[in-house]
Amino acid sequence: MRLVQTLIVVLISVMMRLDSRMFGRLNFERPLLTCTICGLLLGNLQVGLQVGATMELATLGMMSIGASGIDMNMGSLVGCAICIMTGADIETALTVAVPMTLLCTLLDTIASVIRINFTHMCDNAVEAGDFAKAKRVDIVYGPVLYVLFTIIPVFLSVYFGADVVQSIASAVPAWITSGISLGANIIAFFGFAMLLSTMVNKNTVVYFFAGFLLAAYSGLGLTAIALIGIVLAVILYTVKYVGVNNRPVAETNASSLDDLEDLDN
Amino acid sequence: MSLKGLEAQRNTPLNTKLKEIFWGAWCMQTNWNYERQMNTAYMYAMSHTIDRLYPEEDEIEKKKEAYRRHLEFFNITPQCAALTLGISAAMEEEYAADPENFDPAVINSVKVALMGPLSGIGDSLFQGTIRIIAMSIGISLAQQGNILGPILAALISIFTSAPITWYLGKLGYTRGQEFVRQMSESNLMEKVMFVCSIAGLFVIGGMSATLSNLTTPLAFGESFVLQNVIDGILPKAIPLGMTWLMYYIVKSGKVKPMTVIIGCFIAGIILNYFGILAA
Repeated sequence: MRLVQTLIVVLISVMMRLDSRMFGRLNFERPLLTCTICGLLLGNLQVGLQVGATMELATLGMMSIGASGIDMNMGSLVGCAICIMTGADIETALTVAVPMTLLCTLLDTIASVIRINFTHMCDNAVEAGDFAKAKRVDIVYGPVLYVLFTIIPVFLSVYFGADVVQSIASAVPAWITSGISLGANIIAFFGFAMLLSTMVNKNTVVYFFAGFLLAAYSGLGLTAIALIGIVLAVILYTVKYVGVNNRPVAETNASSLDDLEDLDN
Repeated sequence: MSLKGLEAQRNTPLNTKLKEIFWGAWCMQTNWNYERQMNTAYMYAMSHTIDRLYPEEDEIEKKKEAYRRHLEFFNITPQCAALTLGISAAMEEEYAADPENFDPAVINSVKVALMGPLSGIGDSLFQGTIRIIAMSIGISLAQQGNILGPILAALISIFTSAPITWYLGKLGYTRGQEFVRQMSESNLMEKVMFVCSIAGLFVIGGMSATLSNLTTPLAFGESFVLQNVIDGILPKAIPLGMTWLMYYIVKSGKVKPMTVIIGCFIAGIILNYFGILAA
């Protein structure tokens, strides 16, 4: 049973890894989706949704652009799987995710050295006129390496980690677990701040406050806020870019009104 | 120099080429490396076109040269790679048709020129706006235990990413450099950034007010409950303060992300223990 569950999680981790490698990053690597699928397949959708929402929230701002940023996706999935398999609290997922993320960063350093070698293999293959091999290095070796460096830690940590986590989780007092849960909520603000820092400047900070105040005072949900935000952006776009060029159109409207008057006569 | 390759390339249906560009763009990060980042992926994406253009044995030097050209440093938002791939494919075709007068160095300089601006626009559109909107809607529904949340998040992501990639590839291949010229003349980048930053920031503002709630259990007797006072003036003032505190930590650039994350847990345990903050 444990083995089957672990293999299911391994399959989800393959999807998670390949999402950004071969599917242009469709967000199937994000905790909200991986944890939900994990919950669905391991038979506890509610836990999957809760862990997914919590982890997604904590990591929402952590963009992985190029080499920078940290990747908590694998940690989230493993944490969620262990939560479901052991029946531990949702907070447990978080405590699993953080060390997993450190491990991930370490492993990726090793993988990145291998990938540089792949690039040189590619160069040499082209030099030797072996184009099929050059292509194979990119489209087969690259993804396979990524997948291997994902499924091995995922398999080991889910298969053997569950017992360890269970014994630790039952020993930890409640004030620490609720403190960790508070910590996760604080991390979310770190994420919001990272997003903000890439987008905000003196001229645009007002839109942040517009969204904040509307949500804080009205209690509207985020779907409403998102839709209002899009509409606001379109309105301001029209005012700024279309408005200026609109004058000739206004004149034609006026002349067509004249035509209508002529018809009346 | 035979024209067989050129004919083969021209006779290939447009949709076949666009499919190659589409998947080439989505596979941009198959071998991401610190040395030249997405170089092998770009080569792979271009290989279909190059293989068609130089089919003969005696053209192997030309073919190697073309492969090498696309093994140079490259980095871009995957979806936006479709545009440069389309342009590169069209230019490789032009070069094969007229090798005497067409300087192949231009192919790479166009790539390099587009890389920076397209990444900026692509990251703020896909990561900064679409992903944020999709995920914040997804989280708020998932928090209520509704599976529609993740489903909506997935659908929003797919149905923006796929068509944008496809049409960028088509624009790049069929309109080529002319499109790039038009793009810079009409300030297209500036316009997209303008819309993205308004919608994105509006949602981030809403997010910091709704998604993660911090309150304070501090009270002096029954008459003075601090949270009630805060709610009377500016509800969610604590989340707002926390957002800007974190903003200054990020802006200072002195603290590593992992340190902040571990610091948050420690702060959470302490603040929770003394009853200063609660989630």
